[in-house]
Amino acid sequence: MPSEDTSIITAAGLGVRFRRNRGARRSFKDLFSGKRRRSRAGEFWALREVSFSVRAGEAIGVVGRNGQGKSTLLKLVAGVLLPDEGAVRVHGGVAPLIELTGGFAGDLTVRDNIHLTAGMHGLSRRQIAERFDSIVGFAEADDVLDTPFKHLSSGMKVRVAFAVVSQLDEPVLLVDEVLAVGDKAFRNKCYRRIDELLAEGKTLFLVSHNERDLRRFCSRGLYLDKGRLQFDGPIDEALARYNADHNEG
Amino acid sequence: MRVRAPGECARERSERGQNRPVTSYSDRARTNRATALRSLRLLTVRDLKVRYSTSLLGYLWSILDPLIMSLIYWFIFTQLMSRSLGEAPYIVFLLCAMLPWVWFNGAIGDSFLRDVKLVRSVSLPRWVWVARIVCSKGIEFLLSLPVLAVFAIFSGAELNWMIVLYPLGIVLMAALVLGLGLLVAPLVVFFRDLERATKLVLRVLFYASPIIYGVGDLPAAAAPLAWANPLSGVFSLFRAGFFPDQLDWALVGVSAAITAAILALGVLVFQRSVGGVLKEL
Repeated sequence: MPSEDTSIITAAGLGVRFRRNRGARRSFKDLFSGKRRRSRAGEFWALREVSFSVRAGEAIGVVGRNGQGKSTLLKLVAGVLLPDEGAVRVHGGVAPLIELTGGFAGDLTVRDNIHLTAGMHGLSRRQIAERFDSIVGFAEADDVLDTPFKHLSSGMKVRVAFAVVSQLDEPVLLVDEVLAVGDKAFRNKCYRRIDELLAEGKTLFLVSHNERDLRRFCSRGLYLDKGRLQFDGPIDEALARYNADHNEG
Repeated sequence: MRVRAPGECARERSERGQNRPVTSYSDRARTNRATALRSLRLLTVRDLKVRYSTSLLGYLWSILDPLIMSLIYWFIFTQLMSRSLGEAPYIVFLLCAMLPWVWFNGAIGDSFLRDVKLVRSVSLPRWVWVARIVCSKGIEFLLSLPVLAVFAIFSGAELNWMIVLYPLGIVLMAALVLGLGLLVAPLVVFFRDLERATKLVLRVLFYASPIIYGVGDLPAAAAPLAWANPLSGVFSLFRAGFFPDQLDWALVGVSAAITAAILALGVLVFQRSVGGVLKEL
């Protein structure tokens, strides 16, 4: 990189607005009116004025209660949701472990699905061929390669999906709660894989409610509450802030 | 294809703000486009695979619909009634417009709602989701052309040089379907009942378009209808190879202009609404 700026993710003034209720009518006029004038009743900011920058190789944990914007933030970084305010810039691609099994077609075989998903995330045919065996090996899916995806057990679906996405060569890895599924042996395997990726210098963005996971992988924490970024600093402090604010005790 | 999702623009805008070297910016744009096109190919293949792998008779099913429809109309209009519409051989006349109609109907009736989870988990330029349906239905259309050829041979329809206009018809049709798809897909997400309304409108449009009749069969009072409907010019191109009298260049010109307008409007609406669409899914 020619510039001295080593940040791999930059978010500046991010804001996303959602509708509170489905009943709020939307009119065709909205399509043609300016962005400024589109703030209307019945909408709330799921996330607002969130700014941070991430250096390559950092491991970041996002903490906060349910509905405080953690997953929304991850989706914005992944580019599957567009901000109403501000911008997020990701230098390089993103391997999203969000809605893991969503990209898979139930009617196609596991083999076809691996090819399709890997291709859609930017791997060339040759790269897929090279990695195919290790993907299958990781998921322990040799026996079901030619089974339609919909006939797999839910645990196996997640295994296949994790295996594919974690093999992508993207510099940023986004993980949203997926570690909660799968049996213990596979979970440990996932942990090891994430450790490997971190060792390779990948950047990790982890959303979790599991403090052990957060402390294990992350060095830096973002604490979100009420759609605002309340704290950005060492993970232990972020967790301490979170626990202090929401101590059910 | 120059359609860009606003997200992409926002990213590029912020990159420019950072004074990145111009080369890295254009490289990025190029790889983006390459990824988008590769994904488009993969998704199209996937659609076709799903379509043809779920049943042994996959291919047959996809051509059966237009075939049965054409046979029904052929029976009604040539066997039950004495035909005063279109030209002979009537079955070829019907199929010439019926096969592209199935493409049109299938692509507009289907929106990107179908693969909500996929749209939610993969970050691609958003137009790809619409374009893949245009492509997969378009390929199904191309695969159904042998049916037309078989009927043309057995009914003794005369082929003329204007069959070279066929690809032009395909291009125009693809542009029209893409434009309408970009227009309809986000609207269907916002107003769910629009999905049913679309089906009704499509049914009306079937009879309002020169499929079971030719533009020349319309009474003078209904002629403006044909001029306002971009499908009439497109179908006249599809028919020109067998029925040279059906070709009316003025009509084709008007249809092309309307198609261009629809495409531009579709791009505009799609760009303005895609952020809201993603929240709604």
